[in-house]
Amino acid sequence: MSISAPRYVQGPVARAGRPWRILAIVEREVLRRATWGPLLAVALTWLVVVLEVVVNVYFATLTGGSVAAAFESPYESVVWVLLLLIVTATVGAGSLADDLGSRSITLYLSRPLRISDYLAAKGSAIGAWLLIAGAGPGCVAAGVTAALGYVSASEALAAVAGCFAVGLVMAIFFTGVALALSSLTRRSLYAGVAIFGTVLSVTVSVSVVAGITGTAKLLYADIVANVQSIAEAAFGRPSPYPTDPLASVAVLVLTGSVLAVLAWWRLTRVEVVGE
Amino acid sequence: MPGELVRVESVTKRFDQVEALSNLTVELSPGTVGLVGPNGSGKTTLLRLLMGLIPPSSGRLSVLGLDPQREPLRVRERVGYMPEHDCLMPDLSAVGFVSFLGRLSGLPREVAISRAHDVLEFVGLKEERYRKIREYSVGMRQRVKLAQAIVHDPPLCFLDEPTAGLDPPGREEMLRLIGILAKLGGHSFVLSTHLLPDTEGLVDQVLLLDAGRSLAAGPVAELLSESSAESVVRVKGDPATFAAALAAKGITVRFDGSDLRVQLPEANTRPLFEAAHATQTQVRYLGPSVRTVEDLFLSKMGGGNRGSGP
Repeated sequence: MSISAPRYVQGPVARAGRPWRILAIVEREVLRRATWGPLLAVALTWLVVVLEVVVNVYFATLTGGSVAAAFESPYESVVWVLLLLIVTATVGAGSLADDLGSRSITLYLSRPLRISDYLAAKGSAIGAWLLIAGAGPGCVAAGVTAALGYVSASEALAAVAGCFAVGLVMAIFFTGVALALSSLTRRSLYAGVAIFGTVLSVTVSVSVVAGITGTAKLLYADIVANVQSIAEAAFGRPSPYPTDPLASVAVLVLTGSVLAVLAWWRLTRVEVVGE
Repeated sequence: MPGELVRVESVTKRFDQVEALSNLTVELSPGTVGLVGPNGSGKTTLLRLLMGLIPPSSGRLSVLGLDPQREPLRVRERVGYMPEHDCLMPDLSAVGFVSFLGRLSGLPREVAISRAHDVLEFVGLKEERYRKIREYSVGMRQRVKLAQAIVHDPPLCFLDEPTAGLDPPGREEMLRLIGILAKLGGHSFVLSTHLLPDTEGLVDQVLLLDAGRSLAAGPVAELLSESSAESVVRVKGDPATFAAALAAKGITVRFDGSDLRVQLPEANTRPLFEAAHATQTQVRYLGPSVRTVEDLFLSKMGGGNRGSGP
């Protein structure tokens, strides 16, 4: 047991500004989520995308097919969206729910931080993970194929831009989903189930109804259809889909933003400092 | 205003139909302040208002000369807060946790780490500081909460029920640590508690709250000396007749269970004994009515037996 007072009383220290405080939360949140679940989900996403792109690009060069189509191929598949959904659930479900459950949100908000700062930090951390999972493997695959001599540097750069664009839009959307659903519960398991259930049920039901009724506009509520439409445009390919890629970007970004605002609204209603 | 710690002017806070604070006005100077009241008296609501976490329904507040509604972040930069409930981050070690919260208060990383070690040593967790918080006992968790509240060296610290859940030795130790910090100078503490003995010998000012209203506020010594103008009298005989005789002499008297609380003018006991003689009553005990903050609180609450008199 110490009998001496803290030595820090010897002198004041210049304080770091709000951006540094926010960055401290981002750093903690990114590292905190580096557990087996998220790491496996990200690794699986990388494995699937990199392998698929490299193999497709190789065959495209052999057969004289479209390299852009080969780079875009992972985004045509439901698997990519599912993998990203797994990453979102494992990384984002506990983002706010854990702090609400442990009530450590009290400590965050008793510090010189606004709710928006806290939420921005949490969102940035989830977004960083989603960018690593969503845009990272495509960019690496472009690098690998360029290094192997399958594509030119300009083709690889164009592919990187395409991967980044699709990954960024998806990161914004899924971050909003994770923040909103994580803010509604104190248990990350519930939030994870809600993330999975909500996205999948909306996508499946909308695509079924759109198929039956033939209403193409309903597909704007279908995540997979939006991703496919955006990916076609991002890789400079003519889109066979009835949805407009720009409108799809707007739908996903706007939905993500609205959901983030919903999370903010929810947090303003949380009791801080005792219950 | 320099030298002013907290000022609350006609503050009312309503939650729907519930009035948590009712037209509260109080001014506190730097030092150690006991915010005392039963559960639901408005202590935590007052802390939330002072930290700028909720707005008042009406009235104005000032903390260290700053308006918590207009400048909440500047207030929270200068304030440390130890919450009542368990709100730690169990996945972190104590040193990781305290340094993280130091960074959230604006300390640069290296300084935050250095201070985290320093304050954890102070609270007696030097050996255990690298263990995960989830492995800590209740007493250790309370100490970590105190450490995170002081890591950024705030001039004002709000301690919400700091001894909650502690066993007697743990409680003594926590109060000892707060006492050491309070004696350092340059740091003020607002100690919110419903455990009145926690404030004894530790606080130099007190704000007594009950049902959102201030019962008394000011320096403890002043309040105790004011209230000691009242004396406790125990008599053998009919207390009602004795009280009536005292009242006839213009002396304020009230019942407190079997005791009588009497306000003797200028501590003159002569009228008291005259009344005893006249009513054939024996005075078995006569002494000052208030000696502790607890006594003061109970007397302000109505002796703890409101309405028990005849």
